[in-house]
Amino acid sequence: MSWIPFKIGQPKKQIVSKTVERDFEREYGKLQQLEEQTKRLQKDMKKSTDADLAMSKSAVKISLDLLSNPLCEQDQDFLNMVTALDTAMKRMDAFNQEKVNQIQKTVIEPLKKFGSVFPSLNMAVKRREQALQDYRRLQAKVEKYEEKEKTGPVLAKLHQAREELRPVRDDFEAKNKQLLDEMPRFYNSRLDYFQPSFESLIRAQASPSNSRLLILPLWMSTLPCF
Amino acid sequence: MPTSDLLNQDLQEREPADMADPGADEPSPRTESPDGEGRVSEDRSLLHQRLAIRELIDTEVSYLHMLQLCASDIRGRLQQLPQGDLDVLFSNIDDIVKVNSRFLHGLQETASREEDQVQLIGNLFLEFQEELEQVYKVYCASYDQALLLVDTYRKEPELQREIQGIIEAVVPQAGSSGLSFLLVIPLQRITKYPLLLQKILENTLPDASAYPVLQRATHALQDVNANINEYKRRKEVASKYTKVEQLTLRERLARINTHTLSKKTTRLSQLLKQEAGLVPRTEDKEFDDLEERFHWVSLCVKETKNNVAAYLDNLEAFLHFRPQECDLDVGGGPVVQYCSLTRDLQLQAFPEFKRRLEGLVWQPLCSLAKTLAGPQNLIKKRLDKLLDFERVEEKLLEVGSVSYEEEVARHTYQALNSMLVAELPQFNQLAMQWLRQILCTFVALQRDLAKQVLQRAEGSLAQLPHHHIPELAFRKLVEDALGQTSHQLHSFQKNFEKVLPPPTIQPLLPGAERQVQALLSRYGPGKLYQVTSNISGAGTLDLTLPRGQVVALLQNKDTKGNSSRWLVDTGGHRGYVPAGKLELYRVVPRDKELRGQAGPHEDSRHLTPEPTPVPVSSVPTMTQVVAVYPFLARSSHEVSLQAGQPVTVLEAQDKKGNPEWSLVEVDGQRGYVPSSFLARAPSPAPWGWSLPS
Repeated sequence: MSWIPFKIGQPKKQIVSKTVERDFEREYGKLQQLEEQTKRLQKDMKKSTDADLAMSKSAVKISLDLLSNPLCEQDQDFLNMVTALDTAMKRMDAFNQEKVNQIQKTVIEPLKKFGSVFPSLNMAVKRREQALQDYRRLQAKVEKYEEKEKTGPVLAKLHQAREELRPVRDDFEAKNKQLLDEMPRFYNSRLDYFQPSFESLIRAQASPSNSRLLILPLWMSTLPCF
Repeated sequence: MPTSDLLNQDLQEREPADMADPGADEPSPRTESPDGEGRVSEDRSLLHQRLAIRELIDTEVSYLHMLQLCASDIRGRLQQLPQGDLDVLFSNIDDIVKVNSRFLHGLQETASREEDQVQLIGNLFLEFQEELEQVYKVYCASYDQALLLVDTYRKEPELQREIQGIIEAVVPQAGSSGLSFLLVIPLQRITKYPLLLQKILENTLPDASAYPVLQRATHALQDVNANINEYKRRKEVASKYTKVEQLTLRERLARINTHTLSKKTTRLSQLLKQEAGLVPRTEDKEFDDLEERFHWVSLCVKETKNNVAAYLDNLEAFLHFRPQECDLDVGGGPVVQYCSLTRDLQLQAFPEFKRRLEGLVWQPLCSLAKTLAGPQNLIKKRLDKLLDFERVEEKLLEVGSVSYEEEVARHTYQALNSMLVAELPQFNQLAMQWLRQILCTFVALQRDLAKQVLQRAEGSLAQLPHHHIPELAFRKLVEDALGQTSHQLHSFQKNFEKVLPPPTIQPLLPGAERQVQALLSRYGPGKLYQVTSNISGAGTLDLTLPRGQVVALLQNKDTKGNSSRWLVDTGGHRGYVPAGKLELYRVVPRDKELRGQAGPHEDSRHLTPEPTPVPVSSVPTMTQVVAVYPFLARSSHEVSLQAGQPVTVLEAQDKKGNPEWSLVEVDGQRGYVPSSFLARAPSPAPWGWSLPS
């Protein structure tokens, strides 16, 4: 009683309607797109903030190196200027660090969380696909027996096949419906998710500590810069 | 080559006849006459003095006149020559004209003051000493180059003729000497001043009140000439060594000859002698301090340049990433605003910042770094020449005299050294000023950028939904929002995970159901396994079972401890089977057969998971339910209930879909009962078990 799967072809009856299939593809396609964009956004955001930090770190290095130059001991004016520069650069760096931390908390972490749902989704879709394949296979088997002459053994096998088919069909239908329900909901949830993140991103740029940065160089101009 | 000294001497000997020189040089006849004639010689001295003064003033007048002719008329007509050439030829002749005009004016004023004239002249010279030196040294230093140009003109007969024509038209007495004759006039003049003053001094009585002033003036002008010579020599030496030559290896090799080799070996041996302590090293604290400071200044510049380069690289990297280009398919709101803000910044604010940084900070830094090369080279050369110098000094001590080349080496070292000592401090100061300026610019650019960012961000901020909320409150808001949505995400994830793998339930062999029930009641549901593929037993204790058979697990390993061989009970026989061919068996309800071919949709209603955290399986479980009230069956479709009796709900609705009736099994009988008579029991029934989540 071993069934050789290759003997059984595709079922004649269209078990999943075209519209349902199309809907499914469309919803899943949107989510796949979203997954890709989310991944990309996360990566770019991380790299951008890293580069931002690197910039201010190298600015700090300028004044640090100058501070360690022996001229500072000899020339009071020079020392004054370099100290002022150093303070300015360090403040800029501190602001940047704070900004980056904020971004990490309110954008990058949430993005990661959002992205972590996708593997589960993809697995679920795979399982649905697998269920569909099983469903098709068993459906074809049933149809094969239905076409045969209704002898005793054939009837028994037909009954058996129908028994096998039923749970599989139900399972597929369940998966299909669940996904068709959940996918759009998940897709729409991105709005709730991203809007606060991005709003805080903008605010990070316009925060008061940024405007504090503007005051800094003014007291550098009190130094003798001929 | 100390050409300037030779030239100086040349000039003093070569006095062109055409220079208007009314007061011809008369040797002052100092006839020593006995005492009575002292008065006469005194008068004669006075006369000579007056003549000398006249000569001074008159020659000044004609000199200035010639200068002006050169500067305006001749230069104006030499239009066929390029401007660069004219600049080299005539150098700063305009400045000389200005200074000498004022000087002449001063001289002419003294003429009205008879008695004090000598003193006033002396004072005038002292007053003009500095200016004369400054202005003439520039002209003298570039004179050699001017001569070179004149030579090249001479080689072109056509050009030469034109130049001659112009000169003859303007200054007829110039004759055929040409441009070189005209250009040398200022040199002649500046060297003449000490001589003229000397002549006046000779004819002044030592006890005259003007004498000391005059003496000082004479010395002053002599100093001026000496300084001009020194300056010229330094310039020559500097121009020889400041050119940082880019030589290929081959060119460098070609330059090696016996002369250079001997030079270098001599230096090396000198250096070694110093290192070994055999020969004292010339310590020049002043120079060493200067050199050290220069070294620190160069270090400042180099490090700053490297750091700014690193900064620019990082800026470049920053501009490379464009998170705003991601498309999240969001219609409006903060996401869109963020994207447009960032786009704005990346396309305008930051590129402009970069451009300004490159132009106002990077380029000047590079230029500043380049200027360091010249002094560096000179310092290196000075050291070389110092070694030469020391050797020559040694030789001088030993032998008493040195050759011409050695004398030259001495002079070169001294020229280099004095030039560096004079000019390094200024260089250091200028370099630091420049660096300071650059750093201030850097900070100013940062401020401008910050201003830009702030401006644009504030513009976007105004359109945000929560812009009126202060920062701390907003952060709390965001935290809460994210927390909520995070919960939501978590539930999504859970939901997706609940889409379980398909059941691999094999249909029961016909007639096996009773056997399954028996096993179930004996061992319990957790011990039932189904055979997934035909098993053919090999050993005496192994079973042969067909696919689909349900067995109960007795032991999950054999007597030897092998956990891949399980001891099972088929209900009739016991034996071992391979564990890989067994799968946990889930009991399928039989009520599907009762309901017939119901549509799949009805089933699926039970299969959809509810949003509550109760994990729902894809196979309908039999829930444990208890009858609350007694019920008397009124037909064969119904079944009687006693209060508190546990029932098994097979279907929570009747054939028509009415939920008020439930199909239950109780005490082996099946039938319908009112749903409201049933309630869930707290303890799970042996039938109903949920799938492992």
